[in-house]
Amino acid sequence: MKKFATALITLGAVGALALAGCSSSDRSETPESSGSGSAAAGFPADATIGVALPQKTSENWVLAEQLFNDGLKEAGFKPIVQFANSGVPEQQNQISAMVEQGAKVIVVGAIDGSQLGTQLEAAKGTGATVIAYDRLVKNTEAVDQYIAFDNYQVGVLQGKALLEGLAKRQGAGPWNIELVAGSPDDANATPFFEGAMSVLQPKIDDKTLTVVSGQTTFDAVATQGWKAENVQKRFDTILSANYSAGTPLHGVLSPNDTLARGVLTSVKQAGLPTPVITGQDSEVESVKSIMAGEQYSTIYKDTRELVAATIKAVQAYQKGEKPEINDTKSYDNGVKIVPSYLLTPVVVTQENAAEIYANDPTLSALTK
Amino acid sequence: MASGPVILEMKSITKLFPGVRALDEVSMTVRAGEIHAICGENGAGKSTLMKVLSGVYPHGTYTGDIVYQGKVVEFKDINASEAAGIVIIHQELALIPELSITENIFLGNEVRGRFGIDWGEARKRATELLARVGLRESPDEIVKNIGVGKQQLVEIAKALSKDVRLLILDEPTAALNEGDSEHLLDLLRGLRAKGMTSIMISHKLKEIEEIADSITIIRDGKSVETLDVALGGVDEDRIIRGMVGRSLESRFPDHTPKIGEPFFHVKDWTVEHPLIPGRLVCKKSEFFVRRGEIVGFAGIMGAGRTELARSLFGRSYGRYLAGTIEINGKEVHLGTVQHAIDKGIAYVPEDRKALGLNLLDTIEDTVVAAGLHKISKLSVIDPTAAHVAAEGYRKALNIRTPSVTQGVAKLSGGNQQKVLLGKWMFPEPDLLILDEPTRGIDVGAKYEIYGLIQRLADEGKGVIVISSELPELLGLADRIYTIFEGSITGVIDRGDATQETLMRLMTGTTSATAG
Amino acid sequence: MKAAFKQLLGGGIRQFGMVIALLALLGYFQWSTGGKVLTPTNAQNIINGNSYILILAIGMVLVIIAGHIDLSVGSVAAVVGISVALSIKDWGIPWWLGVLLGLGVGMAIGVWQGTWVAYVGIPGFIATLAGMLIFRGMNQEIGNNLSVPVPKEIQKLGAGYLPEWGPTSTNMNNSTLLLGILAIVLVVWSAFRKVAKSRRLGLEDMLPAAVYMRAAVLSVVIAYLTWLFGSGKPGTSFPISGCILLVLMIIYTFVANRTIIGRHVYAVGGNRSAAALSGVNIKHVNFLVMANMSVLAAVAGIVFVGRSTSSGPGDGTGWELDAIAAVFIGGAAVSGGVGTVVGSVIGGLVMAVLNNGLALNGVGSGKTQMIKGLVLLLAVAFDVYNKVQGRPSIFGLLFKGKSRRAAELVSEAGQEEVAEVPVAAGETAGRG
Repeated sequence: MKKFATALITLGAVGALALAGCSSSDRSETPESSGSGSAAAGFPADATIGVALPQKTSENWVLAEQLFNDGLKEAGFKPIVQFANSGVPEQQNQISAMVEQGAKVIVVGAIDGSQLGTQLEAAKGTGATVIAYDRLVKNTEAVDQYIAFDNYQVGVLQGKALLEGLAKRQGAGPWNIELVAGSPDDANATPFFEGAMSVLQPKIDDKTLTVVSGQTTFDAVATQGWKAENVQKRFDTILSANYSAGTPLHGVLSPNDTLARGVLTSVKQAGLPTPVITGQDSEVESVKSIMAGEQYSTIYKDTRELVAATIKAVQAYQKGEKPEINDTKSYDNGVKIVPSYLLTPVVVTQENAAEIYANDPTLSALTK
Repeated sequence: MASGPVILEMKSITKLFPGVRALDEVSMTVRAGEIHAICGENGAGKSTLMKVLSGVYPHGTYTGDIVYQGKVVEFKDINASEAAGIVIIHQELALIPELSITENIFLGNEVRGRFGIDWGEARKRATELLARVGLRESPDEIVKNIGVGKQQLVEIAKALSKDVRLLILDEPTAALNEGDSEHLLDLLRGLRAKGMTSIMISHKLKEIEEIADSITIIRDGKSVETLDVALGGVDEDRIIRGMVGRSLESRFPDHTPKIGEPFFHVKDWTVEHPLIPGRLVCKKSEFFVRRGEIVGFAGIMGAGRTELARSLFGRSYGRYLAGTIEINGKEVHLGTVQHAIDKGIAYVPEDRKALGLNLLDTIEDTVVAAGLHKISKLSVIDPTAAHVAAEGYRKALNIRTPSVTQGVAKLSGGNQQKVLLGKWMFPEPDLLILDEPTRGIDVGAKYEIYGLIQRLADEGKGVIVISSELPELLGLADRIYTIFEGSITGVIDRGDATQETLMRLMTGTTSATAG
Repeated sequence: MKAAFKQLLGGGIRQFGMVIALLALLGYFQWSTGGKVLTPTNAQNIINGNSYILILAIGMVLVIIAGHIDLSVGSVAAVVGISVALSIKDWGIPWWLGVLLGLGVGMAIGVWQGTWVAYVGIPGFIATLAGMLIFRGMNQEIGNNLSVPVPKEIQKLGAGYLPEWGPTSTNMNNSTLLLGILAIVLVVWSAFRKVAKSRRLGLEDMLPAAVYMRAAVLSVVIAYLTWLFGSGKPGTSFPISGCILLVLMIIYTFVANRTIIGRHVYAVGGNRSAAALSGVNIKHVNFLVMANMSVLAAVAGIVFVGRSTSSGPGDGTGWELDAIAAVFIGGAAVSGGVGTVVGSVIGGLVMAVLNNGLALNGVGSGKTQMIKGLVLLLAVAFDVYNKVQGRPSIFGLLFKGKSRRAAELVSEAGQEEVAEVPVAAGETAGRG
């Protein structure tokens, strides 16, 4: 019976504890201002800033990590910069953790821009500001601004560069080309492709260009995960099916450098001459390749410029000012038109590389 | 004592496990060129002693001295003892089934040539070794294709390849039939004639009586005595007396059978081998069982006894071709094991660990495993009922365990067998088929199992006992069927049966019908 | 004393080790992040961000107990996610019908996988490796590689909270409070029932004090969790995905321990031949565990698209590995026959807390993966080491496991026959 009594007392104590717990609830605190009016409020100059980057798949992202860390620190903020190598769920958890750490601004380079709604809404709930960096965040109200290079323009430039390169290097037309697009789960892949096709489609229609494999739709030419191995496999197949009997391959539209190099590897292995191929991102290996006369062009989107613009926006939010916006029409994320600040990219070829990379210590070294 | 110099002396070996003295001052002396048997009940410490000798328990984990060939040796592992010429062959064979005889013999001890393994030389040596052990098989034969008896010989050939001077065999004939056992014993005699020293652990006292020169008996971790066979007076009873510390009045409990009417008939039962089409493992078998009757099935290994039993038990073996089963005069179709259980049949398999028990289970889980519907409503199990049932069997079957929530893996062989019997008594069958119910069980536990079988019969159940030990069948069964190559060759009442008549029927030399 | 502690813990020692690990991790991260781990919002994040993996782990542990493996769960979840999202978007069916359709798709896939494994006899590893490719591709075909949003109601399943009602004077979410009170009542009631029953049966090895203590400790834990989850911002509570997880845990623990089919799953994994000779229909069991896994993968897929607000082409990649890791950290054996639902969920939570704590500490993705890999390796190595040594783990180190150790060694010495059996987890197997 004694034990029985002990048990009862213990259980009683538990109940008391449960009730006691209630009193120290943080419910009584007024919730911080919610909704989108946060920009007007401003926040401390030493606030935590969260930067959620996607998988560590290209040099640009690695550079961005470093620039964000340095730049935000220099501006007096506490940065948390994280990659999400294992996918969307990890990025979701990272954003939640950033909110939990009291981040006032969350900069998101989304892996899949349409799968972060819940976390970003929670962030907005605490009064934080959300900036979509480089990739648009879709299907949610919870995004204040989009900062990126003008991706449609990137595509247009790539299309033009391809035509220019064909004329310069492959003699007179008509020319045989193949198309490559980026990852279907990346919102930027479509504007790249559409921009390029706005230049190329008329030439395909008037037979100046022939896509020998017949693969011309975005779905057919997309590259899952922006992975070089995927495009390489696709080209191994295309080359052996369409170009093994002496049909020349004159040019390839590639949306970025990693994929361009993947294509070039495949072409080399098939023993074919190097086609004119476009790129983007000015990755070190590709710049070398351009200087060696293999890859024809790339796009220079100065990550420094993009990160600097983002940090400038963060500082504006900190002071409670409105950040710079230069486009309020183009980027509809499905729920709202996201105010955007777009930077203009440049095409780089062998001819103008030295001039364009002049301010970039790493790349300028390669052009000498 | 047998002549010859002392090759091995183990002096006052004590091996402690925390809380228990597994070996307590055990001493034994082995002379060169003899066959020295070690006898004792399960758990007496025989295997522990051999593990000390072969370095499985390295020097320093025991006290006492091992003097081998005149020198005190301190083996630190099994490689050290092998290097000294001591090779142990375990009860569970250490052969790789998918490799050839040659590959197995030289596994870990490969014949090196100039470029990797010299297979030509290896085959040549393997052929010589096979000749020495009297095994007429190609050295390229895959081990899984030869029988257990021959595999045992391959193990010995493997030992001989290592320049062995002291051969230890742990229960070498446990899995062998009479013919193979006889061959193995002959081989050991042959090796002895050439000067080999062997130590043999066996439960088969008859074999020991036949072959051993001296016998060391171990009981409860102590060496009780060493018997010199040459001096005479050593027989099975004498050995048993040493092992159990008393003489067993009888190896079978007294029993007056209460036999009723026949209730289980099998007619024209024909079954094909599961993998080899056209090969019949049961050929038009016919037999019946009466209530309260213990029916023995005798036959050499591979005769088709287990195959017959399992094909009856829900067609769990082979491909059914023809035949009928009648229970209480009504024909039944037992398409699955569950059907068979529902119709009151239980089959307790021969291989406890492989076929009978889930070694991860507790005793109580095991006991109710074949009759879950009995303790459940709407498929929901009542754990209390399971516990109560298991407690009941613990008392009724005298299962020695501190608690029925203990894992079955921790029980000794005899207690595992009792748990298994409990498992098959739980669904309350009318007919129990017991396949080798006392294999690998010590003398005391055997006696208890016999008593249980008799009690089951007295409750009006039919019991079929399949056994390779003829004395067991003669002592236990009321009627014995003999099986040879898938056919039932005869049936003999207990009173008329002798080992000789049974043996003749089992080997197909005559046929007879009685009772 | 020792026995009392053992009963206090109830389950196997292995699980206890994992609970300690979980508490240690929570404690460490709570300290290193300056108290950011055990906050209402973060606790809610942990549940919301991992419930789909924990749901998979529940199905996976049954698959692994039965001696199989399922590599396709991520792909199956992805197919179900896109089916649900697209059917609602394109056909305009109500959200609940979409959910039912998703479960139906899961069931159909389950029948497919189960048939190959159970009736054709393809090993689970191969059949589900094929399934992994087939259903990944199917996800991308159906969804055209696009992300498709799901309606608000489904978002609630993955990221929503219980309703607010009643007086605000409790200062908590009243739904959570009610849930907590119900749980404590249940725990206390079952403790009394257990003791009463053991008295009736006259079991000597039952210590009522231990049972009461255990109930008291559990009640304190539940009270704390109730407060933790219930006292967050208004509108938040114990997450709905957590409720789904809890319900599944209760159902599957009951199925595994107390039903015939549950026993059969353990029997098949423990010794297939013995199970067959005990009347277990092995094909049936194999079919059910595989089919069930796909249905749970469907649930996980729906919860995840809810959390993500849309279904995407990358959903489900690598989930099978997270679920399998959770199961093994939770004490299951690769050879089958051993494992518990609760253990697997705890194993999954260890990984979840690790992820969360490292993210809060700002540790990068690469290092996080390395640490997780090491934790998996060490957890299983710890287990293997204990089995080899016959040592009762932390528990024994804490309380000088003399009696128990002796008992084990007696049994080792006392039965030469069994010595060769890899003394697998008979005891540590503990089925919760």
